[in-house]
Amino acid sequence: MKTLTDVGNLMCLHMDEIEPGEGTDTPEFLINATAKLLNQKEERNWVPVIVKEIGKNQYEVIGNTFVYAVAEAAGLERVWCIIAEPTDSAAEVAKVLAGEAIPQINLSAATRDEIAAALKYLVDQPGSPLKGIKLAVAINRIEEDPGRKYWKTLSPITKLKCGITAGKKLDALKQVFYLAPEPYPDVITEPAILETFTATELKAMAKKRELAVPKSAKKPDLVKLLSA
Amino acid sequence: MNMTTTKLQDALRSLPTDAKEPIVDLNFVVPCVFEALGFAQGEFYPQYVTGDGSVDYALRKNIDENDNFICTGTQPYLLMELKGRDINIAPDSTGYNSVVKQLKRYLLASNCHSAQWGIITNSIHIQLFRKHGKVVFPVTACLEINPDNVDEVIDSFREKIANPSKALTVAVYNNKGGVGKTTTTVNLASVLHRAGHKKVLVIDLDPNQQDLTNSLDLSLLDGKFYTFLSEKDANLQSCIAKYSINYKNRDVDFFDVIPADKEFAEGDETKFRQYLRIDSLRQKLECIKSDYDYILIDSPPNWRIFSQMAICAADVILIPTKHNNIFSLENAALAIKKFVPEIQRLRGDGGPVPLPVFFNGEKITPFQELEAQKAIDEILRKSKSENPNLRQYFYPKETKVSKNREIFSIPSYANIANAAFARIPAAYRDKTANSYYTELAKEYFLQ
Repeated sequence: MKTLTDVGNLMCLHMDEIEPGEGTDTPEFLINATAKLLNQKEERNWVPVIVKEIGKNQYEVIGNTFVYAVAEAAGLERVWCIIAEPTDSAAEVAKVLAGEAIPQINLSAATRDEIAAALKYLVDQPGSPLKGIKLAVAINRIEEDPGRKYWKTLSPITKLKCGITAGKKLDALKQVFYLAPEPYPDVITEPAILETFTATELKAMAKKRELAVPKSAKKPDLVKLLSA
Repeated sequence: MNMTTTKLQDALRSLPTDAKEPIVDLNFVVPCVFEALGFAQGEFYPQYVTGDGSVDYALRKNIDENDNFICTGTQPYLLMELKGRDINIAPDSTGYNSVVKQLKRYLLASNCHSAQWGIITNSIHIQLFRKHGKVVFPVTACLEINPDNVDEVIDSFREKIANPSKALTVAVYNNKGGVGKTTTTVNLASVLHRAGHKKVLVIDLDPNQQDLTNSLDLSLLDGKFYTFLSEKDANLQSCIAKYSINYKNRDVDFFDVIPADKEFAEGDETKFRQYLRIDSLRQKLECIKSDYDYILIDSPPNWRIFSQMAICAADVILIPTKHNNIFSLENAALAIKKFVPEIQRLRGDGGPVPLPVFFNGEKITPFQELEAQKAIDEILRKSKSENPNLRQYFYPKETKVSKNREIFSIPSYANIANAAFARIPAAYRDKTANSYYTELAKEYFLQ
């Protein structure tokens, strides 16, 4: 059906109808200098602001916030905008496409190449806290960890002895990775995964599987018992 | 979180799910809704005799301490027709269609000339209607109410009821050309002014033909109306021309006109879509709605930006057709079942609504009338499953009992067509033409 909405259209909107959204942390110099350039050379922003409609005559910036900030600094009354779908996913993708957000990959299911590319990107960032880690080791250990698909947080990485410790280093990983963990299988026999549980949890597992647990059993004994 | 609840919320929560009409009445409408709408004790009159049946309530604010509406029952302002929760009045249900018909009948009855508003509710759904002259049209969608939104909904009703806009905005539209839209617009403006003593503004929104502007011998605008629509704080007064006739050596003003704007004819549509929204005209006309009784918009015969803006700005749509032009009938049906609902979805307030079609300016013999009826029946048959309500726009007088299939008709009359050469609407120059259009005004608009 033909639609009468403005979604998809390029429109020249009044600045005062547009909410800035999340704003930009672009240095003031870049904004002001670009505003000056725009005023001197062109009166039109050929790179449009990406907005969504949030009400009658009301829009919100979801991408190219820099262009919006420049238009404001340049004192434009109207700014050229693309009207995007008012959905969260449109906003997320617009931000990434505009280079304002880093795309994240699902570490629970990522391939070796994806992990390698993401870690390399982080290490190459100026002032990266990950500088100095042994990239090849980190890639290997993360990729090969059998528990990776069950990780609920990134902290197991700190136990992989690959130079990524809790704090700034681990936090840096959050820029590029998110987790969509699989649920644990009903019966876990992989020792490396069993190691991630506490002794009490392991005892409960053994009880569920109706295994006889010696009273004096310690964690290594339980792991041995359950992985047998 | 604010834990206090309002009377309306409490009342809605405590209503049984199958509450019959008297329960809805006693526990929801009387103790809460009237007060929330701004009416006090003595300002609502139950079982009000409209002259065509009794409506559940008539309401009016008392003017001073000597006035008591419940005693006098004169000059009702708002009518309310109630149903129980056992009757479904969700949009497009049978119950809905029948209660709307009932409300319209009451609003147009002899004792309710003064009534300007109508409400239907069963405490699950509620809808507000406006009456302007003879025209009854929705000003909100049929809204579902619940404890979360009831205060907001009733408050918005109160706000609207307290500030009725003076003007009725009418788009004259048919997707088919040559059906006499412009002739209808100027002559209707003439008789509304002359016979109805109404203040009328006519807008020529057909920039490619500019027929209306030319037929009144007015100059085209050179971008002012475009500026008014696209810019903030632009002035409308500079776009308005007075249509006046020299009478006994002095100019007598008849109605106001916004002539066609050259800018719209010369620019391309892509550009306009970049600067204007479909509802731009609607929003911009708000500021002059208290200055006129009628705003008539002559729209182009297509479904592009100017017709869309015209329909979006309108409260009601007047659709001229020709009985001997099957395309004009098919296009009328297309507008009613497809284009108007598109705008209704965009606006979300239940409007605009089409008025029943009429036959315009062709000689019609009984045989031709029968032929036209056959053509209409065929159109209705084809769209019956998807649009069962289409029938009422072609045969408004037909009921379950009455087989009255009369369609209002403006007879053929050479002086109407020739008037364009004289640059004066026929209704001003010619008694017969005047009487034809006065009939049209009375059939659709004047009470």
